[in-house]
Amino acid sequence: MAELKLRNVKKIYPLREDQKKKKDKKPAVEDKTVEKANLQITDKGVVAVQEFSIDIADKEFVVLVGPSGCGKSTTLRMIAGLEDITEGELYIGDTLVNSIEPKDRDIAMVFQNYALYPHMTVRENIAYSLKLKHLPKEEIEQKVVEAAKILDIEQYLDRKPKNLSGGQRQRVAIGRAIVRNPQVLLMDEPLSNLDAKLRNQMRAEIIKLRKKINTTFIYVTHDQVEAMTLGDRIVVMKDGYIQQIGTPQEVYSHPANLFVSGFIGTPAMNYFDAKLVIDENGDYKVVTPEYETVLSDGKQARLKKLNVPEQDVTLGVRPDHIVLYDEGIPGKVEVSELMGSSYHLHINCNGKDVIAIVPTEGKELDFVGTEVKMTFPGYGCHIFSKEDTHNLEY
Amino acid sequence: MDKNQKAAVKLFISRLLAYVFVAFFVILCIFFFYLLLISASKTNFQLQGKFSFLPGSSLIVNFKNALNDTMTNIPRGMMNSFIVAATSALLTTYFSALTAYATHVYDFKFKKTVQTFIIAVMMIPPQVSAAGFVQLAYKYGLTNKLWVLIIPSIAAPSIYFYMKQYLEATLPLEMVEASRMDGSSEFGTFNRIVLPIMKPALAVQMIFSFVASWNNFFMPGLLLTKPELQTVPIMISALRSADFAKFDLGKMYMLILLAILPVTIVYLCLSKFIIKGVTSGSVKG
Repeated sequence: MAELKLRNVKKIYPLREDQKKKKDKKPAVEDKTVEKANLQITDKGVVAVQEFSIDIADKEFVVLVGPSGCGKSTTLRMIAGLEDITEGELYIGDTLVNSIEPKDRDIAMVFQNYALYPHMTVRENIAYSLKLKHLPKEEIEQKVVEAAKILDIEQYLDRKPKNLSGGQRQRVAIGRAIVRNPQVLLMDEPLSNLDAKLRNQMRAEIIKLRKKINTTFIYVTHDQVEAMTLGDRIVVMKDGYIQQIGTPQEVYSHPANLFVSGFIGTPAMNYFDAKLVIDENGDYKVVTPEYETVLSDGKQARLKKLNVPEQDVTLGVRPDHIVLYDEGIPGKVEVSELMGSSYHLHINCNGKDVIAIVPTEGKELDFVGTEVKMTFPGYGCHIFSKEDTHNLEY
Repeated sequence: MDKNQKAAVKLFISRLLAYVFVAFFVILCIFFFYLLLISASKTNFQLQGKFSFLPGSSLIVNFKNALNDTMTNIPRGMMNSFIVAATSALLTTYFSALTAYATHVYDFKFKKTVQTFIIAVMMIPPQVSAAGFVQLAYKYGLTNKLWVLIIPSIAAPSIYFYMKQYLEATLPLEMVEASRMDGSSEFGTFNRIVLPIMKPALAVQMIFSFVASWNNFFMPGLLLTKPELQTVPIMISALRSADFAKFDLGKMYMLILLAILPVTIVYLCLSKFIIKGVTSGSVKG
């Protein structure tokens, strides 16, 4: 059994001397923007991860995703045992592992930049952990070959890492991790050093790999496409806080707040200033000066349940939900990007850049410079509070 | 002459000058070895007479004389020198690398202070600390023991400094972490992963410290008085100060020639480890 439990896990890096001085020098009264930027610096130190709690089931694939500096790698390194846990508890199975050495946690990790042992051949690299366990030679050889077969690197077993390409090296790094059948497999941005084409290919391989080795995966990435395609569940993080935990579909369709809605999905969600209004039938609708639409039934139900009052909101609409029509919010197409099957139109709407996806339908269309009007259906509206940016449906 | 020809002549001349320059320095370097070799092949009489660039014919005689010298036991001296030089070279490089690794990889309180202290030790001239050490050795009866020469040489700040710089340039911390995740102990990681990566640095410093220890005259001269413990530099000086009847310059040159042989061999053995790009292929560079 290898389920993982994290309970209010926190990571605080003590302040260095120079940081302490800087902090002391801060004037007593300061404007709010500075305060916000320093939100994570407390008296105790720099907070990298805040109250991280999650239960990860056995054989689950969990992806931690967020912009750089959000604490996702730190969380992973705490699970690995490479960083101390400042506060909170980490269980693997039923054992509290806070103060257990990485080597005794039965966890394997794949690093972003491979971290292969350069003086050893691929075979020795993969066999290293087994040798340390003093397994018999035949068993080691058999396991190494097995792992190499899974990753299709059998023919490179006697090469040194420097004679391999980036993709092959990453396979070796994965091979080194899976060869000893770890309870949990951690991956720290394993694909971000590969070029775009190879990355797509390796992503597919990781999905296949998962079916073959059947263990618990925790995967860190800043690439939301990887997060969406690989994870059973996604943990979106920002500034050390968990923003949302959910399946890819949940996170995409029901983002918990403005940040998640903007981070997940490419091209990013578009935002408009709007009003949430209750009409004469008691239904919620969003109103902008030029366009209004009644929300879909599901959204109605959720809003009614929470009894959300009328208010100013930020309205989010995904680019693929924007429809060009005879009436609606006006704008002017500034850039048109042909993506093959569709165009991504960048529309200037009162100085804001709004992106709409328009199918080509096999025709070559010239949009640039045309005035358009945008509408969107009720089910495509995401309504966020102006006050604290949370999704008003939840 | 057209432009092309002019350029070609210019190139030829500049290359010629470069080769002459380089050749001059090569000759300058080799000259002393040649001088030593021909001197070792001459008799004492020839050596004290008119200088000649041609070798003599007494190489083997000198060799036999040197080995059969009654005052000094040369094979024994070579052995002593080798024991001291080889063990101190091994220990000093290993422990310097270990110290450098500790200060590179681990974060602990007063790390900066420790580093500064180690570097500060470099500022003290060895002769100054030697005075105290010799006194200490005499006080506790530690003279005439080879290990008294070996142990103090282990703490070598300059080698530590070199190793630290090398680690900073070549060792990615992920590799250490990967090894930890693979189940290795901290010493295991150092011995199995870090040392092989440091081979070039170890080889360079081993050569340096072997040569320094082999040629060391100062400390052995102060601490070793028994003839059977003498090292080669002391023997050379003993031969030099021999009385007039026994004094043989040819024998002495032969001993010097023998003295540089092990150093050369050690250099040739270790220099093959001095290669570039040991860590290439480990991490994305």
